[in-house]
Amino acid sequence: MSQPEWPSQAPSALSKLIHDAGASGNQPTATTIQVLHNLQHQHLWTSLQIHDISDKFKQYYGDVPTGELPIRSLISGLPPHRVYTHPDEQLYMLQNGIREDELRPERLFVLPTSQGITFSLRLYSMLWGDNLETVVEDGVITGPVVGEGKEKKLDEYYKKKVECLASKEWGSKRILLAMVNRGPGGDGTVVYYVIQEGEVKPRQN
Amino acid sequence: MDNPTLPIPISHISGRYLLFSIEAVTYLRREHNICGVLTGTLPQASQQNVFLGLPLQLMPEEARVLVDKGIACIIDEAKAQTSMISLMEEDRRRYKRELEAQGHHVTRLLADRKNKRKEEALKKIAENKAKKSAKADAESEAAASSAIPAEEESAIVDVFADDSASRSSTPTSAPQEILGVTPPTSYPPLPNPTTSSDLVLSKPEVPLSYPLFAHLHSRGYFLSPGLRFGCQYVAYPGDPLRFHSHFLVVSAEYDQQIDLMDIVNGGRLGTGVKKGFLLGGPQKSREEAEIERTESVVTYSIEWAGM
Repeated sequence: MSQPEWPSQAPSALSKLIHDAGASGNQPTATTIQVLHNLQHQHLWTSLQIHDISDKFKQYYGDVPTGELPIRSLISGLPPHRVYTHPDEQLYMLQNGIREDELRPERLFVLPTSQGITFSLRLYSMLWGDNLETVVEDGVITGPVVGEGKEKKLDEYYKKKVECLASKEWGSKRILLAMVNRGPGGDGTVVYYVIQEGEVKPRQN
Repeated sequence: MDNPTLPIPISHISGRYLLFSIEAVTYLRREHNICGVLTGTLPQASQQNVFLGLPLQLMPEEARVLVDKGIACIIDEAKAQTSMISLMEEDRRRYKRELEAQGHHVTRLLADRKNKRKEEALKKIAENKAKKSAKADAESEAAASSAIPAEEESAIVDVFADDSASRSSTPTSAPQEILGVTPPTSYPPLPNPTTSSDLVLSKPEVPLSYPLFAHLHSRGYFLSPGLRFGCQYVAYPGDPLRFHSHFLVVSAEYDQQIDLMDIVNGGRLGTGVKKGFLLGGPQKSREEAEIERTESVVTYSIEWAGM
């Protein structure tokens, strides 16, 4: 009996994207591309960038070639909605009648990882370096508060935000951990977790 | 409120750290954020697992924190028990006399209260009588008998004073029975074990997660065992009776490899019960002293991003 002829399946858009980037056999790069793709098309993030942080991790993993680092890049971008609001910040916003969609978008950093990678506290600590500026993008208000009504309120809010981030009252530097479901049985789902430095009280969700 | 004399003796019995004094238990909870777990049941209902009483069992970490702060010390309870034999006969007699005196005091107090009640009841009756007799005087023209009201009055006496008070007219100076006092503590008769150095044990052995425990404790968190939530500790921002907990706490060594799946598990579980997942540990290795390890603790809070 002869084998039936199966029609050749066209690769998925994602596979094609990864292939076109020349990252087919390169898991870390493929993970980064997949997470970026997910952020862009499923979660509608904009102005996405990839930051190379392989230098940082070279110290951690010892002298391995860049191509073999399991983690070597960060993604940053602007989410369409706030991903994280600290409970105290939320209270302040409620008290001052500030709605989330009136605020300037915040650049958030994402660490693309995939199932099977192990982590350690040392690795986390290395992430919280200089390249994690999650403060409001150009939201640092140095001058006196100007404007009337809503504008004034927003200015006050941004000023307060800078203070509270410095004192960690409204949480600390944060990063999104993205994990791709890979390997046998993996369906390519990407899950996101907010990681913050220190003890930050949970949201009231 | 009375504070117990420091250091508080923590009884070490077959590997457990136990507290038997309610004074110490409330003090530690109030002043030092230590809750422990109540473990005492009634012998008749040993299966019950709510509304437990003394003794309070402490985690080794809790005992260690208290010893490190100089608030408590660990006592070898088996040895301390044998020291009871050496209690002098004279001491024993004196203690019994003291208890008897306390019994006398309590009995006198109770008798006083009874007398007071009696007097009040009598006064009330007298008032009622006066009122009624005035009424009766007014109605006497109608020639009403006063026998029934008198009976009613005696009924009132029975209600307000119990039998012994109404029946016995013995003066309070000679009560027939002295109340027995059961002392809640064993240290007045026995010498305080913390003063004899051969009973005091060394600091408790603690697991590797101790630095994280001590770090969170120093930040004012109340920590309880985390078995119920599948973690090492549950951290409350205040007394667990008043606050919901904030974190499920898991400790790791600085270079310990953590599977990402564990982070997802913890994060998801924490979010499911409105808590954060707190991962932390000391930067210093296990060879270093616990105090230095505690100072080097780093922590990370993890929550599901909801996307």
